[in-house]
Amino acid sequence: MQATQLPQASPTMPLDFSKRAGKYLIFRLGVEEFGTEVLKVREIMGLQDITAIPQVPPHVKGVINLRGKVIPVIDLRLKFGMESEEYTPRTCIIVMRTHEDNEELLIGMIVDGVVEVLNLTASDIEDTPDFGPGVVTPYLTGMAKIKDSVKILLDIDQVLSSNDFGVLPTLIQ
Amino acid sequence: MLKLAENVAQTAITDRIDELSTRLILDGVATLNSVDFEHLCSSAAELGHPRVAAVARRIADSLKLAPNLPVPDLTRIVSSGLVEVRNLLDDPAEPSVPLSSSSYAQPSDKFRLEASRNDTLAADEELIREFITEAAEHLVAIESQMLILEKDNSATETLNAIFRGFHTIKGLASFLEFAEIQSVTHEVENLLDLARTCRLSVSPSLVDVVLESTDIVRHELAAITDKLAGKTPQPTWVNRALLDRIRRATHGTATEVKPLPAPILFLPADAPLSTPVPLLGPTPCDDQVPGTGEDAPAERRLQERRVGDSSSVRIDTVKLDKLMDMVGEMVIAQTLIQHSSILKSARDTTLQRNLSQLARISADVQRITTGMRMVPIGLQFQKTARVVRDLARRADKQIVFESSGEETELDKSIAEQLSDPLLHMVRNSIDHGIESSEERIALGKNPTARIRVSAYHQSGQIVVAITDDGRGLGRAKILAKARQNGLVAPGVQLADNEIFMLIFEAGFSTAEKVTDISGRGVGMDVVRRHVQKLRGRIEIESKAGQGTTFYIKLPLTLAIIEGLVVMVGQQRYIVPLFSVSEMFRPTQDMLSTVRGKAEMALVRGRLLPIVRLHRRFRIEPRTDNLTEGTLIVAESEGRSFCLFVDELIGKQEVVIKSLGRRFKDLAEVAGCAILGDGRVGLILDIDGIYRGRI
Repeated sequence: MQATQLPQASPTMPLDFSKRAGKYLIFRLGVEEFGTEVLKVREIMGLQDITAIPQVPPHVKGVINLRGKVIPVIDLRLKFGMESEEYTPRTCIIVMRTHEDNEELLIGMIVDGVVEVLNLTASDIEDTPDFGPGVVTPYLTGMAKIKDSVKILLDIDQVLSSNDFGVLPTLIQ
Repeated sequence: MLKLAENVAQTAITDRIDELSTRLILDGVATLNSVDFEHLCSSAAELGHPRVAAVARRIADSLKLAPNLPVPDLTRIVSSGLVEVRNLLDDPAEPSVPLSSSSYAQPSDKFRLEASRNDTLAADEELIREFITEAAEHLVAIESQMLILEKDNSATETLNAIFRGFHTIKGLASFLEFAEIQSVTHEVENLLDLARTCRLSVSPSLVDVVLESTDIVRHELAAITDKLAGKTPQPTWVNRALLDRIRRATHGTATEVKPLPAPILFLPADAPLSTPVPLLGPTPCDDQVPGTGEDAPAERRLQERRVGDSSSVRIDTVKLDKLMDMVGEMVIAQTLIQHSSILKSARDTTLQRNLSQLARISADVQRITTGMRMVPIGLQFQKTARVVRDLARRADKQIVFESSGEETELDKSIAEQLSDPLLHMVRNSIDHGIESSEERIALGKNPTARIRVSAYHQSGQIVVAITDDGRGLGRAKILAKARQNGLVAPGVQLADNEIFMLIFEAGFSTAEKVTDISGRGVGMDVVRRHVQKLRGRIEIESKAGQGTTFYIKLPLTLAIIEGLVVMVGQQRYIVPLFSVSEMFRPTQDMLSTVRGKAEMALVRGRLLPIVRLHRRFRIEPRTDNLTEGTLIVAESEGRSFCLFVDELIGKQEVVIKSLGRRFKDLAEVAGCAILGDGRVGLILDIDGIYRGRI
């Protein structure tokens, strides 16, 4: 299962699992389907020209112009350590609202395609299974089983947190 | 709690008396009304000052009963009455019924250390912020007026303006219960009052005291700001010793400079005043009978100016910045619409007309918004004038400060960040550039040196020039020192300008102090850093024995730059035009390689290092061959180098945008801009690229 490849990060505050129910935007990366809270989605747009930024980790693709605002774009495949693939007409950018120090920041994430919006109840959602000692999965809030398929629910603020946006030297060490 | 309330009331009385005295002196007795004194009478009675109340009642009566008395007589009655009241309040023996101890008798004298700084900030924060802004403005005005006064101590209107400034600060401070500020301003007011009534001449030491007190008030304001921000404020500078010092200036120099007039009793024989009039206190001197003479037109001018002020609105800079951002986005959106191929092919003339109308309006809105952030540079010059004066006195050098172009406008944030560089440069000129008077005489120069600061526009930039007529920069000595420090490799030949720029090197300054060449080093790296941050440049002109001129060249605004759009591979970058001196396609004979590694180009007889942008950014170029691309000669910190790019696209004015905090650590990129086709282009940081070259 690909989730085990998630890079390790420091454990953070325990998540409030009781609030997991709600509307989720389901998107695809390879064969896996992921979900993120609809409330945090600002918009979904087709792929466009991305201006590359020098000296940043490979998953940071660069910046785009979102109606006059310059926002960073990351490739979620690369971020999750998956193989990079050619972009297809279904590839799109989901612009997310994240919060950092009480400031709203917009970040675009490139995904293989958007699937659907699901209304998940608390009973649909299960806790993330224990992947064994040493595997910390701060990105995950849980797994949803719907119609025999599993959607991995993401804590998008954790995924997009700024600590790995830095220039390469700080990332390598 | 009760004590505090009494305290406030007490302060209110003192202030009321001050205000009446001021009006008496400035506006004349005719403007005073018996009602004013009846108020004073009743509040004094409430506070348990029966004698004060009695005197106030007497003044009120005489104003009411004898309105036809000649003006000088009436003035004397009121004036001596006010003096009496003041003395009664100052006198701890005055039986004040509710205030059994005299500790709160005179807030300015009896120091309310315990009352100060604890509850005071519970008051409305907005009011306090307003007070801080207003007081700061008054202080700036006071400073510049003090300097005028020092040059021409007969400028009575200037003196009055200074007095009013302090008085306003004092009034506000007492209202908001900032006891320290109140007590300092009170003492200064006394001092100025003596000067105003011709009993103290305006000497340099008096100017020193007043200027110093503005610093103290400023310090207090900073402490209040700190407190508002929740930080621990710095300890106050105000203490009894300080107040005594100001007071000594009042008494000490008063007798030295000009003997006090013999006790004057301003008592008309039939006046209903019986108590003896004391010696000290505000009594207008004869040639300055209020409301008459040459004061009047000046006063009117001042009022006119105040009327002008009232038509302006104070706006939070945050809002202004936001507006700037929005306008920037609007202009970008408008450009995108203009370049839309669908609209371009439209044949509807109304649509075309509307579109060009929109373009015109957007351009106007942008121009006006940018203008809103513009402030005249004069304020910074005033600060500099003050520094020059203080330092010249300290260094015991005679220096005349001149300024021109005060009305030159530039972006508020640039103007503010300019004050530090200006200060350091003037300090260097005075410390190191300007010779002592004896030395100057020996050299056949005017013993009085000149420092000239001017501002003007030049080819889309603002130039601030600082000129002194001192000894100039010692070229040979700087070079020797730089070689010794390893800043310049032996055998390297440098142009004059490159040598002068060495004084801005960080390591240079400290060593500089020890050997006293023509100096200039202390703090100069600070200057360079500030100017760089403002995307400006420094140039130096210096002639041995004749003086030095520093030119700080700044962009008009921080929001827009002129850039050169270049292409490397598939990416477009913007090179700020101010750091570009020329560009060309090199031929093979211009290129050479040092030890097979470092590439150099021979440009106008100079061998310049080549930095390949594609290597720095690790991107795939269209061409790897130098002769197929373009070299841009860019300048970083006084040194030139060649930047290799694929090709030039053109010149464009762009609105600078930040890449956001996520990319703030990038040394090579200064920001980004949205180009005509809506794509983002990165603005290169030329200094960062040069510094990081391999």
